[in-house]
Amino acid sequence: MADNNQPETPGVSRRDIFQILGAVPAVAAVGAHSHMHTGQEEPAVAKGPYKRQTFDDHQWEMVKVLCDLIIPADERSVSASQAGVPEFMDDWIAFRTEQDGNMDLRAEIFGGLMWLDHESNRLFQKNFVGATADQQKQLLDRIAYPGKAAKDDSPWVAFFTQFRSLTVGGFFSSKQGVADLPYLGNRAVAEWKGCDPKVWAIIEERMKNGYKGVLEAKPWSA
Amino acid sequence: MAQVKAAPKTYDVVIVGSGAGGGVAAHVLSLAGAKICMLEAGEWFDCSKDSKMFEWPYQVAHRGAGTKYKPWGAFDATLFGGWQVPGEPYTTAPGSDFMWWRARMLGGRTNHYGRISLRMGPYDFKPYSRDGKGFDWPITYDDLAPYYDKAEELIGIFGSQEGLENTPDGKFQPAPAPRGYERLIKSACDRLRIPCIPSRLAILTRPLNGRPACHYCAQCGRSCSANANFNSPGVHIKPALTTGNLEVRTGAMVREVLVGPDGNATGVSYVDKKTRTEVEVRGKIVVLAASCCETARLMLNSKSSLFPNGIANSTGLVGKYVMDTVGSAVSGFLPILQDLPPQNEDGVGGMHLYMPWWLYKEQAANKMPFARGYHIEIGGGRGMPGEGVLGGYPTQFLGGGYGVEMKQKLRKLYGCEVHFSGRGEMIPNEDSYCEIDPHVVDQWGIPVLRFHFKWSQDEILQAKHMQETFQQIIEAMGGTVTKKDRPENQWGIAKGGEIIHEVGATKMGADPKTSVLNQYCQAWDVKNLFITDAAPFVSNADKNPTLSITALGWRTSDYIADQVKKLNVKV
Repeated sequence: MADNNQPETPGVSRRDIFQILGAVPAVAAVGAHSHMHTGQEEPAVAKGPYKRQTFDDHQWEMVKVLCDLIIPADERSVSASQAGVPEFMDDWIAFRTEQDGNMDLRAEIFGGLMWLDHESNRLFQKNFVGATADQQKQLLDRIAYPGKAAKDDSPWVAFFTQFRSLTVGGFFSSKQGVADLPYLGNRAVAEWKGCDPKVWAIIEERMKNGYKGVLEAKPWSA
Repeated sequence: MAQVKAAPKTYDVVIVGSGAGGGVAAHVLSLAGAKICMLEAGEWFDCSKDSKMFEWPYQVAHRGAGTKYKPWGAFDATLFGGWQVPGEPYTTAPGSDFMWWRARMLGGRTNHYGRISLRMGPYDFKPYSRDGKGFDWPITYDDLAPYYDKAEELIGIFGSQEGLENTPDGKFQPAPAPRGYERLIKSACDRLRIPCIPSRLAILTRPLNGRPACHYCAQCGRSCSANANFNSPGVHIKPALTTGNLEVRTGAMVREVLVGPDGNATGVSYVDKKTRTEVEVRGKIVVLAASCCETARLMLNSKSSLFPNGIANSTGLVGKYVMDTVGSAVSGFLPILQDLPPQNEDGVGGMHLYMPWWLYKEQAANKMPFARGYHIEIGGGRGMPGEGVLGGYPTQFLGGGYGVEMKQKLRKLYGCEVHFSGRGEMIPNEDSYCEIDPHVVDQWGIPVLRFHFKWSQDEILQAKHMQETFQQIIEAMGGTVTKKDRPENQWGIAKGGEIIHEVGATKMGADPKTSVLNQYCQAWDVKNLFITDAAPFVSNADKNPTLSITALGWRTSDYIADQVKKLNVKV
């Protein structure tokens, strides 16, 4: 995706932004990056190693495995755990527990992890992390498709939906996830030109003829 | 009280508050040569240093998510404040839902607001004459038009000349070109005969008075370190300070307007938050701009033998007819936008297109079930990804799943969301007002406000119309409605105060018996007391209040300067 259609809205260098902002402090302009970051250090997920607030050692291993089953690495980007999603999730659950004044989210996640181990032990005599890829898949397939799942599995479907939502959101809002999408903003743009005409042409073509991608877009009626 | 320290100096003008209303008064009056003391309850704020511009959600704790005391997230420009201010409560009467946003900082809410800048139109000043509801203003559009011109030329507003009914055009800078999803929405609106035109926002697209044009990072709500958008510290207060006529005191929580034996205001008394001591500041003229409800609170708390019900409140109308804006929202998902070549869709911090109210003719012909109109605000596209991005999509659109295939589908669905918010006119009513709670005080010992609030059927049916219209637009684009509201939920109408457009509470009028202020926002009862925030508003058209605050405040300030010259006001 290196040559994506955005020549109309080029990123502006750090030097350029100071010119745009009308002040050119020579010192500041020295550390020029092609991508503006306000001079904040990064990654700012944490200074020093992350300190867990929510998961114990066993849960931590499970969370990492489960995150990567949901978002594995592919040709475009790293896996969820490589993007810091387990750390995000550990922090997020602690944060919500404090903000919401209850442990509902924590209980749902802990309970679901517990079930994965229980069920894995019952069926395969192994914890979830130690189960084979096929065995893990067998369990996840039961709870990953709400419309097809057995009624008795509904609490674990709810758990997985929640866990997947945190993994997906955590991943695509991480530095690596933002680059994967890609989100191309949060930078200074010298001249704003609006929608790229080439993109608009595609939209217009789809209005006429529809488009079948991940989902179907029907043509607009005349 | 031994701790009271009287300041020796008497200023020409004391201004309470530093937001849109206080800012414009300080700007106009300092340039006219008045010696001014401005009091702000919060701390100093300088957007050139304190803005969070360009930070990423992944660089801060919890991806910058909102908290109880930072409800709009870590990057929001509101330094201190929100729906709750620690140590400064408010209450609501049984059966009333009201939310009160207070921004305790220099510039108040102008630092983070949406910059939507719409002129009220000719109809909006005479609503009672048109449909028999609410009240007429004591002024006309023509009275305020020259001040809209001045305000727009100072602030810098982009827009386009359209000539639409009751939607006056202004002195505009060029509008930025629309984003992809906005052009699509416009195509659908063209088919539905809903006007969709360039929005009107207080963001520079051309340099102005030493301020640079926008650099299109879309994060105006964080405040702009380049000062390319309107905020009162950067646009009003900074030039006022250079005159040498303005002194700003921060951390000054005003308790009371002081009154002399002749019934005129002599200044104010405030709590210096740092030292917790009471300080008096003397002024020949007092201008209140603490924000609509805070101004009413201050007046109601300013009791004296001359004004036992609060200053300038002989009518008992101070606090009455508080209005907010009718809000209701619908979200949609547009498959036509999936898997497009990526582009930067940031633009300015807000919509590039909007839809002004369009059914005036139908309303005039009695074909509409509610009075007054709304405009439509839009959002969507490839915005900055926050913590929740795409999280619900597997269940919503893919039937579930996990793994590489899901990951690859998800990224193709990024940027397909659209959001529609209606912003409509509320008609003032007897059941919506604020008063002093007799039992509760804040940590400064100042009695707090108790809110009463009720929507009428006009507003609820307007919310219904919003829901149905937005759904229609989404479906016209082949989209799926992902979030809407239902009749049992009063069509998702926002709580009172939730849209943060409180106006009213000290209405202006032509008759001293039925209004608190005259047409120059001067108290009928106290000739040297003026109000320049939104408290004087008589109605709350669907035109977001900030631009009108700055225009009306400018007109009031011109009048003050003129009266001082003619010595009609005690100086």
